[in-house]
Amino acid sequence: MAVIEPKNARLRIERFDYRIVFAKQGRAIYISHLDMMRAFQRIIKRAKLPVWHTQGFNPHVYIMFPLALSLGMESRCEVMDIALIEELSYDEVKERLSASMPEGFEVISVGAPVHKHTDIAFSCYETEIAAQIPSEEVVRLFEDFLKRDTIEIEKRTKKKTTKLVDIKPYIECEGLEAGDGSVKVKLRLPSGTGFNLNLNVVIDAFASLSGIEVETICARRTNILMENGENFT
Amino acid sequence: MEEIRKKLDRLLLKTQKPARYIGGEVGSVVKDKEKVDVRFAFCFPDTYDVGMSHLGMKILYGLKNARENWWCERVFMPETDFESLMRENDIPLYALESLDPLTEFDFIGFTLQYELSYNNVLQMLDLAGIPVLAKDRKDLAPIIVAGGPCVCNPEPLVDFFDLFILGEGEEVNVELMELYERMKPDRPTKEQFLREACKIEGIYVPQFYDVEYNEDGTVSSITPNVAEAPARIKKRVIPDLDSVYYPEAFVVPFTQIVHDRAVVEVLRGCIRGCRFCQAGFIYRPFREKSVATIKNETKSLCEQTGYEQVSLSSLSTSDHTKINKLLDELSDYTDEENINLSLPSLRIDSFSDELLEKIKAVRKSGLTFAPEAGTQRLRDVINKNLTEDEILDTCRTAFMGGYTAVKLYFMLGLPDETLDDVAGIARLAQKVVDLYYETPKENRGRGGVQVSVSTATFVPKPFTPFEFEPQDTPEMIKQKQEHLLASLTSKKIKLSMHYSNTSILEAVLARGDRRLSKVIYTAWKKGCYLDSWDEHFKYDKWQEAFEECGVDPAFYANRRRSYDETAPWSHLDYLVTHSFLVRENKKAHQAQTTRNCAEGCSGCGIKAECGGVYCGGN
Repeated sequence: MAVIEPKNARLRIERFDYRIVFAKQGRAIYISHLDMMRAFQRIIKRAKLPVWHTQGFNPHVYIMFPLALSLGMESRCEVMDIALIEELSYDEVKERLSASMPEGFEVISVGAPVHKHTDIAFSCYETEIAAQIPSEEVVRLFEDFLKRDTIEIEKRTKKKTTKLVDIKPYIECEGLEAGDGSVKVKLRLPSGTGFNLNLNVVIDAFASLSGIEVETICARRTNILMENGENFT
Repeated sequence: MEEIRKKLDRLLLKTQKPARYIGGEVGSVVKDKEKVDVRFAFCFPDTYDVGMSHLGMKILYGLKNARENWWCERVFMPETDFESLMRENDIPLYALESLDPLTEFDFIGFTLQYELSYNNVLQMLDLAGIPVLAKDRKDLAPIIVAGGPCVCNPEPLVDFFDLFILGEGEEVNVELMELYERMKPDRPTKEQFLREACKIEGIYVPQFYDVEYNEDGTVSSITPNVAEAPARIKKRVIPDLDSVYYPEAFVVPFTQIVHDRAVVEVLRGCIRGCRFCQAGFIYRPFREKSVATIKNETKSLCEQTGYEQVSLSSLSTSDHTKINKLLDELSDYTDEENINLSLPSLRIDSFSDELLEKIKAVRKSGLTFAPEAGTQRLRDVINKNLTEDEILDTCRTAFMGGYTAVKLYFMLGLPDETLDDVAGIARLAQKVVDLYYETPKENRGRGGVQVSVSTATFVPKPFTPFEFEPQDTPEMIKQKQEHLLASLTSKKIKLSMHYSNTSILEAVLARGDRRLSKVIYTAWKKGCYLDSWDEHFKYDKWQEAFEECGVDPAFYANRRRSYDETAPWSHLDYLVTHSFLVRENKKAHQAQTTRNCAEGCSGCGIKAECGGVYCGGN
């Protein structure tokens, strides 16, 4: 019997790293993170980029996403890192990727990965919410919500039990504005490789502590920040 | 569209895997409907995950959309969670490309792949706000049509459809849509259109035929009632498979579907003639594509879709006359591109060392064989020309190559099956286990062997030599299952036996006649659909429906039919002759095998002009 070797025995050690910032909007907001990762493998394959493959028995395209975006949320600041085996200009990578993107995805920029994924500290969000009460009333309730001493939510632990976590210290409100039938809220929440606080969790906590039903009309991530408050991208 | 789109917004977030309901996938075709003359909604009567894996839809979708002024879109059955949301929010069933409701289409075409999807057709029409009964649809459009393997006996569905498309669809679909495009500006009635349509070979318009019955309940005659309708309707065949249309691109779903990969068809038909297998007869004759064509289609598909896996599709890939050359050339390409090549449907007897080596180089997964029956005698009855030595030789090769998992597929309830044949399944599985332990330790894979035995229940199908056979009753199947369980001798053998009342229903619908339309309608009214899903299948409701309609399921499932009985499908011509099926049935009962097409012609009735590789000579 022949000795079985990894399929790409010709190891390609040299790689060129690229950071892609892209948008996910429209029909694409209904694509889950897992499905999106698979979609991007195919986008890259279709774009015929000379992509670097992982060096195992079942090589696959190397792609890294530092953050996941919740289902239903739109964004123009999503980040993906890829590696190529030959050096292409940023413009060329952008052009080729753009040509193979499905509806709802768009390449914003291509550049070198300057910061490490672990540098990510916060995400900024903008959301529009509505309830069965006047929007001025919703604004007042939200202000009360932010003034609370603690905002405790139930979080599932790895042992499948739940524990109470106080998320109050992590919520930073950057804007609150009553509109016609809805309220615009801007929040800065922890994101990244450590503690993450999901926007939906905050809105759900607001709804349950205020005793109202809240409908999210739209939600978008507007920015990814590092500890020092600078832009990650 | 805008209205549905608006309603879907945010609502989709309340459902599982919403990306299935909004379209926008790469490869989906969006046209300006103002510039389109004929709109076709291609419906798969099951969920997106199942339907999106279907190759026929991909072919016909590409084919129809290749015409600038035609637009073909996709429609699937929503899961129950989304179906309720749709009904609560007054969203009719819509097509994924335009998000337009089905009522705006000229044709609504269903592919009928399995009997248990029939009620989904009714459910989908109803969800679209379209009357399910053909007689209640007075306007020209939408015209409700169906194709696929089950239309070889569409009689149980005649109340619901305007016409059926028999055989391979690449040419006849185009002819049908061309006729419609020509006639549409003159605003013909539906009947005027159907009278013209039934002149196209392969088009069956059921309302143009009268069925008479004998006193014993069997069919006595089926006769046309309009001058345009032919006495027999012949299925369509594409003689030259090498030049037939094949899509350059697929719609690439976002969510994971059952077969999430590029698929290239390598051949149609099968040379084997296993007597239980409907596909082996209704897709005859055996035709193949050239290595160059297959290679080109593989390349194009992989490039267009970005899939990292491609699979070769056929009833028996190793029967391709140039299989080794094909695999050599394909693996050159796929290796270079880091694409995983998978080969389902390989036969044991053609499973050479060389072939095994190639497959292994691709990926070492489990090995699956379908001996179908446990003893040589019964394998001869069903004409599965496969000996125990061949099975064991292949397993030996596989174990030497490091394989440790073998799956064996069998059927219970085959004609002339005895309890000894059933015990034979356990004996064969045990021999495979023993073989592993006889393999030298340094060669065999570590961790011990796992032999999985799966049994399904045999369902007799039209246009097979077993179309005359009764299905085993549930009691008989139960006894055989218990016997098999008692015959097992090793913990290394994992047994899974599927049997539910779905097999009875399949048998009834597969060989049913027009009187079953009423049963289907009644069962559907009682809430029966998604019947192929165990959690949704309501056998008690089906039983009630049979009773209320005065129809006895056993008449269709468990009765031996005489050779000269008029079958409900006898006006449909699938090119394999009745006398051949009778001859094969007689040989089955004598446990005599029939050679395969490559070894020599056995006279099934298919003519050389159909393009079969082995047809037209001895």
